[in-house]
Amino acid sequence: MPGLLGYRGPAERLLREAEASVGDVLEVQTGGEKVTGTLVPRYEHDDDRHIVIKLKSGYNVGISVERVSKVVRLAEGEEPKFVAPKRATGGGLPRVSVLGTGGTIASRVDYRTGAVSPATTAEELYSLFPELADVASITPEIVMSVYSENLEPVHWGELAKKVAEAVAGGQAGVLITMGTDTMGYAAAALSFALKGVPIPVFIVGSQRSSDRPSSDAFLNLIGAASMAAGAGFSGVYVVMHADSSDERLAVHRGTRVRKDHTSARDAFESVGVEPVAFWSREGIAVNAREAPPPRGRAEGFEARPRFDPRAALVKFYPSMPAGYLEAVLGSGVRGVVFEGTGLGHINAKSVEAVARFVAAGGVVCMTSQCIWGRVDMNVYDTGRDLLKAGVVPLEDMLPETALAKLMWALANSPSAEEARRLMAEDLAGETTPRTVQRR
Amino acid sequence: MERASLPFDPEACQFRVGLEVHQQLAAGRKLFCPCPITKSDELPLAFERRLRPTQSELGQIDPAAVFEFNKGRVNLYRWNPESACLVEADEEPPHPPSTEAVETAMLMADVLGSRVVDEVHFMRKLVIDGSNTSGFQRTAIVGLGGSLRVGGAKVGVLTVTVEEDSARVLKEGAQAREYALDRLGVPLVEIALDHVAGVPEHVEAVALSLGRALRSTGRVARGQGTIRQDLNVSLLGGQVVEVKGVQKLGLVAKVVRYEATRQMGLVKIAEEVKKRGVEEVESRAADATDVLRGTASPVLRRIIQGGGVVTCVAFPRFAGLLGLEPFPGVRLGKELAEIARTNGLGGVIHSDEFAKQGLTEDEGVALRALAGSDSGAALVLVAGDASRVVTVAALVAERVKRAPLGVVGETRAATDEGETRYLRPRPGAARMYPETDIPEIVVTDAMKARVGGLLPVRWEEKVASYSREYSLSEEAALQLYDSGDSGLFEELVSRLRLEPSVVAAMLVEIPVRLSREGVDESRITPEALGATLAAVDSGRFAKEAAVDVLRAIGRGEARDVDEAVERLGLKGMGDEELEEAIAGVVSRNRELIAEKGDRAFSVLMGEVMKVARGKVDGKKVSSLLREAMKE
Ligand SMILES: [Zn+2]
Repeated sequence: MPGLLGYRGPAERLLREAEASVGDVLEVQTGGEKVTGTLVPRYEHDDDRHIVIKLKSGYNVGISVERVSKVVRLAEGEEPKFVAPKRATGGGLPRVSVLGTGGTIASRVDYRTGAVSPATTAEELYSLFPELADVASITPEIVMSVYSENLEPVHWGELAKKVAEAVAGGQAGVLITMGTDTMGYAAAALSFALKGVPIPVFIVGSQRSSDRPSSDAFLNLIGAASMAAGAGFSGVYVVMHADSSDERLAVHRGTRVRKDHTSARDAFESVGVEPVAFWSREGIAVNAREAPPPRGRAEGFEARPRFDPRAALVKFYPSMPAGYLEAVLGSGVRGVVFEGTGLGHINAKSVEAVARFVAAGGVVCMTSQCIWGRVDMNVYDTGRDLLKAGVVPLEDMLPETALAKLMWALANSPSAEEARRLMAEDLAGETTPRTVQRR
Repeated sequence: MERASLPFDPEACQFRVGLEVHQQLAAGRKLFCPCPITKSDELPLAFERRLRPTQSELGQIDPAAVFEFNKGRVNLYRWNPESACLVEADEEPPHPPSTEAVETAMLMADVLGSRVVDEVHFMRKLVIDGSNTSGFQRTAIVGLGGSLRVGGAKVGVLTVTVEEDSARVLKEGAQAREYALDRLGVPLVEIALDHVAGVPEHVEAVALSLGRALRSTGRVARGQGTIRQDLNVSLLGGQVVEVKGVQKLGLVAKVVRYEATRQMGLVKIAEEVKKRGVEEVESRAADATDVLRGTASPVLRRIIQGGGVVTCVAFPRFAGLLGLEPFPGVRLGKELAEIARTNGLGGVIHSDEFAKQGLTEDEGVALRALAGSDSGAALVLVAGDASRVVTVAALVAERVKRAPLGVVGETRAATDEGETRYLRPRPGAARMYPETDIPEIVVTDAMKARVGGLLPVRWEEKVASYSREYSLSEEAALQLYDSGDSGLFEELVSRLRLEPSVVAAMLVEIPVRLSREGVDESRITPEALGATLAAVDSGRFAKEAAVDVLRAIGRGEARDVDEAVERLGLKGMGDEELEEAIAGVVSRNRELIAEKGDRAFSVLMGEVMKVARGKVDGKKVSSLLREAMKE
């Protein structure tokens, strides 16, 4: 790691004078005292008046530039070299493709500087997760390196194409590793783009990064890999911890899953349905009530990977100004999903703007910010007015799923009318006809 | 005289001990969340986790981490929302650190003349034995350098760190451990001292002085187990052994002595190994389950019949070395047994003790044939559950291979008996990386000034002032200071009429006595002590009854002094009632008094006290009784 990573201003000047680089061993003299250790990088948001030294004991300490009388460079730093330990490589086992998107599920830490870097080869993956070699023969590929919050519809499309290639290439299953923030959206998007996919596609992440001994990544990845290799069902699912323990994984249908906690391991939840299966070291327990489709034949499967990002998700709130909605509708979007209140409402003064947008060819759909339960726009006047204005009620579809579906429907429909029809139709288990789960 | 306690000259053998003292702080909250610091008796919630070693950029995995992982251990954590939250459960990132705790660490650094760093960086120190849910301990250096005064000498301070305490162990096992989350995250200050000559009593004196210096800040937690010492012990040519968790100061010297003897014994065993010309130790392992199926050894028979297996590891030219005992209790065989026990087996059986363990000579011959060894080889039998035996046999072979080194660097635990037992290999250096969830703390001049204003009187001066102002003996003053209740003492003597020496004695003696009886000392709060002494002061009961009152509170039989008085029937005795009782005793014993005179006093005193104990001060009884006897 060359240069002066993260150092600016006075700190950078001081280090430059000493011809020091990150990783070098320095003696920093301050008055009568001196501190000896390795220069480590500084984070971008930190101030420019301190340098950080890693002592021999492994501790970092920050030293104020103003106190430093002299910096002596004692030794040049060693370039970190990663040598993956030799492992069995899962030969003879079902082939599973692992698509990386930039989440921290498979990364290791440089204890010298504290930098974290992703695993990019099969050897590295096996060395990080040796048990993988017991369950599958892995083909890893880093498709992109994007934080979850920066993933866009175009990335979903790329992933869908990669999955289609894996299907054509005879892979038994696909894992997609991803940051968890927008995993719910991606799972829904891929469910539509990969409708009818004949193999299981598991989106996996971790709530604790894999550089930590307590990371949930290990169990999530190994459980998902063993299911990708051996589960008897197909489709797009999110696989994460079922609860706080490192024991059971829940397999959530891609269109019915939501991140419902900011930090816990079991943040993901199936809403309105039960998980389609649970995995533990003892095996896979498929939930007969949710009946996931069996594996199918690769022939005849075709992905529809196009998305039109010109769609918006608008959460209605009390006092939402008419101008706010008009600004959204006038921003060039072709469709809007509302997260309405209760059974699916927005305030009366917004109805006219919605009607105009629909009349001009826009697609407007209604979901509920209650998350649980189903919209019903026939109960109150506002609901009936919205229906009359052309709003499509989306039953118990999750708002995030509805947005992903709308982006997909807009890209895959010749007309607004057809897009509205697709939105109302259940394509990938995104709506249920009967509400049976109470919460 | 001190040196006589070691079987060798510590100077000549460069026997060194470095102390690391961990002091719990009396803080209002935990270090990385606002959870209160309280011990939960009930732990209704639970979850299970497995910790894994993680890999560094250099492809290295911490040896201690791999060791723990190989044990395939599942950790069960029990918790109560009253004393832990999702931060302790490793389900939520840490909150910003407690300013109070960081400033206390700065204050302690100041007391020790340690230089406070300009920026405090929290690190993750890998600890995967399960005692931290995250798999690491969060820790930061606050001060560098400084010195501690011990008698006339000075001991160098290396670092002052602030860190989170580990989870409380509920149940220990090789395959599964249970922890409580209530203690996890309690702020600790760790002081690492430069090593000193390993004279046991001197090391203990250093630990004592350090504890007193920290106490002078008035910010340390009360009670047993709130200060723990780790010792880094080494001698000439040997690797450093880390002894963790000496719970009582009074055990430090004993542990040092034990470890000194053990280490020197291992050096002597190594010399024997070298005398035999063994440079590189070979080992051969073979499955001996079938050979021993009909064994006469009860232990092995039980294991094999229970479906277990036996591996026999042979070490050529090692016959007699495993049982060799240069000092009482120091044997290579014992080291191997400890490794086996730490890994879930009952121990090992080696060829020097075959007969003792009930193995026949024929079996010995058969085992040697199996291992392809002659009588010059030592054999080690590792028996138990198949999943453990292979790992343990490998660890045993690894340990014997290092016998020529003498002392092997490892982490050991101090026992309550003042001995040490094997815990795990010593962690490598590459086990710390930055805690990216916590921004660094820039130490401002304002912080330094605030902390500087809190600098306490040195403990030596404080103790001297107690003996001067309250006419306490030097020893009593020191005991009072060490009790941690000197603040309470000052408050009580200022408002009670009791003699300071009486208050000091009660504050020192009662908690010690009750703690020896096994009473929960966390219930003997300063409030309970204060209320009890105030009741004595106002004559509600005699000072002799104070211990009974506090015992009742400590055992949870009474919530406060009033309830205890009620429960124990400690209604004080009126003067009239006492005089009546004395008159009765005197009249019943007229003859005895006539016969023995003053020598009858103790008998009569005993009789009066039968009814007056705990109700009236003994001194008062004795003076009234003497008067009555004169009449
Ligand atoms: Zn907490």
